[in-house]
Amino acid sequence: MRFVASPAVRAYATEQGVDLSTVSAATGRATLSREDVDQFLSGNGPAASAGSNHRRYWDVDHGQFGPVTREPVPRLARIAAANLSAANAEIPQVTHHNRADMRAIEAFRKSLVDEAAARGVKLTALAFHVKALARCLVEFPRFNSSLSVDGETLILKHYVHVGIAVDTPHALMVPVIRDADRSGLWRIAAEVADLSSRAQSRKIRGEEMGGASMSISNLGGIGGSAFTPIVNPPEVAILGLSRTEIVPVWAEDQWLPVPMVPLDLSYDHRVINGAEAARFLVRYAALLSDPRRMLV
Amino acid sequence: MTDHHADFIVLGAGPGGYAAAFRAADLGRKVVLVDPRTSLGGVCLNEGCIPSKALLHAASLIREAREIADWGIAFGDPKIDLGALRAKKNGIVGQLTGGLRQLARKRKVQIVQGTARFTAANGLNIDGRDWTFDQAVIAVGSSPIRLTGWPEDDRIWDSAAALELRQIPARLAIVGGGVIGLEMATIYSALGSKVTIIELSGQIAPGADAEAVGVLHAALERQGVEIRTGTGVDGLTATSVGLMLSCSGEAAAKIDVDVVIQSVGRRANGAQLDADKAGIEVNARGEIAVDARCRTAQRHIFAIGDVTGAPMLAHRATHQGKVAAEVASGHAAAMETTLIPSVAYTSPELAWVGINAAQAKESGSAYKTTSFPWSASGRNLASGGADGLTKLVYCPNDHRVLGATIIGAGAGELLAEMVLAMEMGATLQDVALSIHAHPTLSETTAFAAERALGTLTDL
Repeated sequence: MRFVASPAVRAYATEQGVDLSTVSAATGRATLSREDVDQFLSGNGPAASAGSNHRRYWDVDHGQFGPVTREPVPRLARIAAANLSAANAEIPQVTHHNRADMRAIEAFRKSLVDEAAARGVKLTALAFHVKALARCLVEFPRFNSSLSVDGETLILKHYVHVGIAVDTPHALMVPVIRDADRSGLWRIAAEVADLSSRAQSRKIRGEEMGGASMSISNLGGIGGSAFTPIVNPPEVAILGLSRTEIVPVWAEDQWLPVPMVPLDLSYDHRVINGAEAARFLVRYAALLSDPRRMLV
Repeated sequence: MTDHHADFIVLGAGPGGYAAAFRAADLGRKVVLVDPRTSLGGVCLNEGCIPSKALLHAASLIREAREIADWGIAFGDPKIDLGALRAKKNGIVGQLTGGLRQLARKRKVQIVQGTARFTAANGLNIDGRDWTFDQAVIAVGSSPIRLTGWPEDDRIWDSAAALELRQIPARLAIVGGGVIGLEMATIYSALGSKVTIIELSGQIAPGADAEAVGVLHAALERQGVEIRTGTGVDGLTATSVGLMLSCSGEAAAKIDVDVVIQSVGRRANGAQLDADKAGIEVNARGEIAVDARCRTAQRHIFAIGDVTGAPMLAHRATHQGKVAAEVASGHAAAMETTLIPSVAYTSPELAWVGINAAQAKESGSAYKTTSFPWSASGRNLASGGADGLTKLVYCPNDHRVLGATIIGAGAGELLAEMVLAMEMGATLQDVALSIHAHPTLSETTAFAAERALGTLTDL
């Protein structure tokens, strides 16, 4: 962002190790004062965000400790970094954890193997997650909202778009499945496959990203049992998926081996309270454990 | 075996070097300042900015005395005592360089006369003596470029020789119509020389706003200066009676003159330092690369001023010098600006800062220009009514000032307001709504701003 600051303010920012372009981005204002720098440093108010004052102690000559190489950070990654820093600094986030029984979905997917082969679409577990999340977003409208810039208005969305975080060599990208509540599983599965492969090869268009109701960050294919995703603003919640594990579940009078998927829901506590988040994730797990409920 | 050690050593005592030395001393450092000259101040004080301004002051009085004849006041032709004029100029230089020495003494800065070369990353040799140092600032400046293939002849001057005021040549050619060449033309034409300026590019003062340069061009021609732009010099032949320049291009001709001043630019002095022994690279133009904190590739060695490349201006060097001293002493400082004003102390003066119309157009971003002609300024008319122009480049979206060019008497002084305005991010309205005293030439910036805003009532 282009900013204007007097020479004294620029010198003060340098002295304090503050990058004025981040202050400008955080305040949303072009003209900056000494007070903006102070507010940024104290961490109060909207100025507290990306980058903070890390330049003061990260400006280290690493070469003095051993050999190093330097590689430029690509533009996309720099944009993502600024957004992540701002999100982490500005949004009071809580992460709620749960697990969902995947037996019914696994069985259902198996029963559709032949049909999937005939259609040429791989029906992944992720497609069911998108479908279940879309359903929950309709049932819990506050999760499908954004705060206005001044924080005085909650904007509730009458559409359900689900973002899928995709790890690519250039940067983290989040293509979006539009109107996921009105799409069938086959279509969702096909769209997820198409968008992620095009994100990988960087052939995705700008308008195919942005505008999501909520995003899913799926690390199930890699491993791990839980993580704390960072809300992708202006969305107010994000769902993290870890690797499905067979765990013993006490069923009436016996232990059963049940494939359970770990669910991690990070949310913006300014918009969503803890009880609401718990209800959301309980409902989500219930939809997964018995996908027939998505029909009723 | 090392004889000497310096905590903080500055190579070069020009405006950048002494600023670095004095600032570091004020921050509590033990400072050594090295320069080959017997006096401090570098090119600027000894053979540049200051002596040229002294002679330009004399030139301006000669010219004004002549021009006031129109008003019914005649002084007659001036009698010029070249020896006395030279002594006056040298006296001014001596007063300033002597003052610097006192300032250095007050700060306990140790002055070493000599030429320094690096021997290692922390080692120097100064005229045969070995020194070690903790931190160094390279401020060795630049030298006039000498055209290749020309004979050795004491009638071929560089700017330093021209300011020695050896004689007033009857016919003088100035090769290079940049700021230095134009100032020499202004001095010597007032003293009585028939001056010809030969400039390779399409306009004198290359890089300055073309419209403003047009005003200067016309004024110089009225003063009897012949200007040949788009013209190169292929060769120079020296004979016992004079020098002959063979010119090609738009004004191809053979020109016979008594003296030639070479002012085709300056070259950074980095190559004479053995900087490679300190692990510092010097490029083919003799320049040393630095970051915004004036650091070279070696964290403990800084470089400032002309040796870091264009724009080669004293006021840039001074600011860099302070930044280098502060960064070296553990303070967070940096060159935070790219706004470096340029002034040609010609008659009339030409001054500019930021971008001009041609540069704005080239950048491709949105811009507009506005100007106020001095023919409509009461103060200017009351002072003789010479041509002048105040011109601003601004962003049409937010009305912020992006550049300013002023041609006219005292333009170099008037420009300061626009430098501050631009540094503060002022808009045209800020300039227009700040009340400027009437009648002054400073009003012309406010008038130019008002003209763009549609609130001007003086035109």
